[in-house]
Amino acid sequence: MRRRRFLHTAAGGGLVLGTGLVPALINLHAFGPDVELSHVEARYYKKLPDREIECQLCPRKCRLGDKERGYCGVRENDGGVYYTLVYGKVCALNVDPIEKKPFFHVLPKTNALSLAAAGCNVNCKFCQNWEISQSRPEQVPAIDLPPVRAAETAGRYGCPTIAYTYSEPTVYYEFMADTAVEARKRGIRNVVVSGGHINPEPLEALTRIVDAIKIDLKAFTPEFYKTYVRGELQSVLDSLVLVRKSGVWLEVVYLVIPTLNDSIADIRRMARWMAGTLGTDVPLHFSRFSPMYLLKNLPPTPVPTLEAARQAAREEGLRFVYIGNVPGHEGENTFCPKCGTVLIQRFGYQIQKNVLKGGACPNCRTAIPGLWT
Amino acid sequence: MSFSRVVIVRAPGVLSADGAVRGPALARLYEKGLRLLTGASEARDALASIFSPAERIGIKINAIAGRRLTTPPEVSLPLAGLLVRAGIKPRAIVIWDRTNRELKEAGYRLNAAGEDFRIMGTDTAGLGYGGDPLEHRSIASRFSAIQAGTVDASISLAVLKDHGLAGLTAGMKNYFGAIHNPNKYHDDHCDPAVADLFDSAPIKDRHRLTVVDALQVQYHKGPSFHAAWADRSETMIFSLDPVAADFAGGQLVEKLRRAKGLPTLAEEERPPSYIQTAARLGLGRAAAADIQIIEDSI
Repeated sequence: MRRRRFLHTAAGGGLVLGTGLVPALINLHAFGPDVELSHVEARYYKKLPDREIECQLCPRKCRLGDKERGYCGVRENDGGVYYTLVYGKVCALNVDPIEKKPFFHVLPKTNALSLAAAGCNVNCKFCQNWEISQSRPEQVPAIDLPPVRAAETAGRYGCPTIAYTYSEPTVYYEFMADTAVEARKRGIRNVVVSGGHINPEPLEALTRIVDAIKIDLKAFTPEFYKTYVRGELQSVLDSLVLVRKSGVWLEVVYLVIPTLNDSIADIRRMARWMAGTLGTDVPLHFSRFSPMYLLKNLPPTPVPTLEAARQAAREEGLRFVYIGNVPGHEGENTFCPKCGTVLIQRFGYQIQKNVLKGGACPNCRTAIPGLWT
Repeated sequence: MSFSRVVIVRAPGVLSADGAVRGPALARLYEKGLRLLTGASEARDALASIFSPAERIGIKINAIAGRRLTTPPEVSLPLAGLLVRAGIKPRAIVIWDRTNRELKEAGYRLNAAGEDFRIMGTDTAGLGYGGDPLEHRSIASRFSAIQAGTVDASISLAVLKDHGLAGLTAGMKNYFGAIHNPNKYHDDHCDPAVADLFDSAPIKDRHRLTVVDALQVQYHKGPSFHAAWADRSETMIFSLDPVAADFAGGQLVEKLRRAKGLPTLAEEERPPSYIQTAARLGLGRAAAADIQIIEDSI
């Protein structure tokens, strides 16, 4: 099947060059012809009798007969061998400010070559990229961008990082892992934007080849995960702990959705858990919700709600708590947790000021955790 | 009290030794099944009582499992021929499934634009899946432009199979091929997703007839083909009640499983509970006492 030529603008992107101030669209014709699905054997699965398999990549552990696909829609059992259908099949490709991921403690004011393949292993009713994450790969036009070429592309566009993002990188694990290795050979770092539904073994392996992981903690109640995510909270918490222990830089995003997960009591419990389990240095972003996908009936998050969440988290001891999707809000800035100096001043995805010196506050010399150089 | 009628017709010899469908025997099978279903004197009159000449008719087949376990052209094309005899224009008949690749692998010759029956996948240029997801009960999906737009009325011409996740796949679950994200509905044995999907307007408002192809039944380890558990049942099931048709299909699978000493689907913890859910939604009947089963043979 030939697929339509494609120019994707995931999350309002397009190709953004330089500092992110000058948006420009990339001509994907330059990347080659439209592509077929890949047929690369998947990792992390178990062969069972009678051509059945059990996927061991994520907590769903899909047990599949011949010709069946997993919940993600991008991994298929063909004759008792499990294949990834999206290896090198990139359906979204942009150069984004790394602040857009968001990573606020990773190489500020740099760009990340941001890419995705189709598919996801959950089904969030508020997904902002549902057109690629909730589709099968044959429904989403894509280009062929194998790992070496992806790494070279990052270098060509001056990106010090590759971000695996937009959909759910876990479901294109093999492509992500091989690209990460190629990127590192070229001095390019790897950052992952994930929902955290991944089993410990593949996640542990991933932490050996990537530099930063952002995990969406979508709520702090199992009920929310069951109803609005189609996932489970505990596996996400386990992933957070594993990443933190690995030493890979970790940031957490909590999308605050009016009436669904905006209980300040729950948010306070979550912040307390983070402070006690992950430590107080892990940045926490409270992002503003916008109506989309299956939750168009809800309003955007009121800013006071975000401010109350931020205050509660700070009261629980977290030292770096941000507000996202509210350009110009002071909650976008990084403050010295000791003396209160504004260290990095942001407006949206732009860096207006960065006075960090050697990763420390210039005023009181307090070290600020992160990947700064 | 009225009953839902299910007609089960067996045609010994309809399959040759190598599994090929014998056309004349199948024609007689269709003839008898449709006559018994409607009381009409001929199959074409039976179909004319279900569809009007001005309608565009979709025949949703199941081509997912390749040549060995799919609705083959030898089964779907004769049904399309009967529709023509009932007054439907050939070009108004669409034999379809998800992708052109699967159709070709199942032995179909694609024909998206000719004057004859149209045979095409949802991925045919200009079709695809509709814009925003349609939310209905537990499902939120984009629908095939064929099911939701190209056709006015629909036949589910499904292959009867055991299904590792759903327990059973027959007429209702066949419509999983009409949405863009069936993989999202595999939890809980596809229950209530199969019923909820069938209850959605693009399906419920168009579906008229279920024909379950049980010529060869995969009664264990489906939905792919396993010779060890495939039975040459040489049977087809007809019903205007989609739930009753699946109920009868489930009984046939269970009967074959019993005969081979296999546990029931429930004992294997994958009962096709969506059938009862569909009945509770009022989509049809799923109790033996409410179903009139007419068995015959040729």
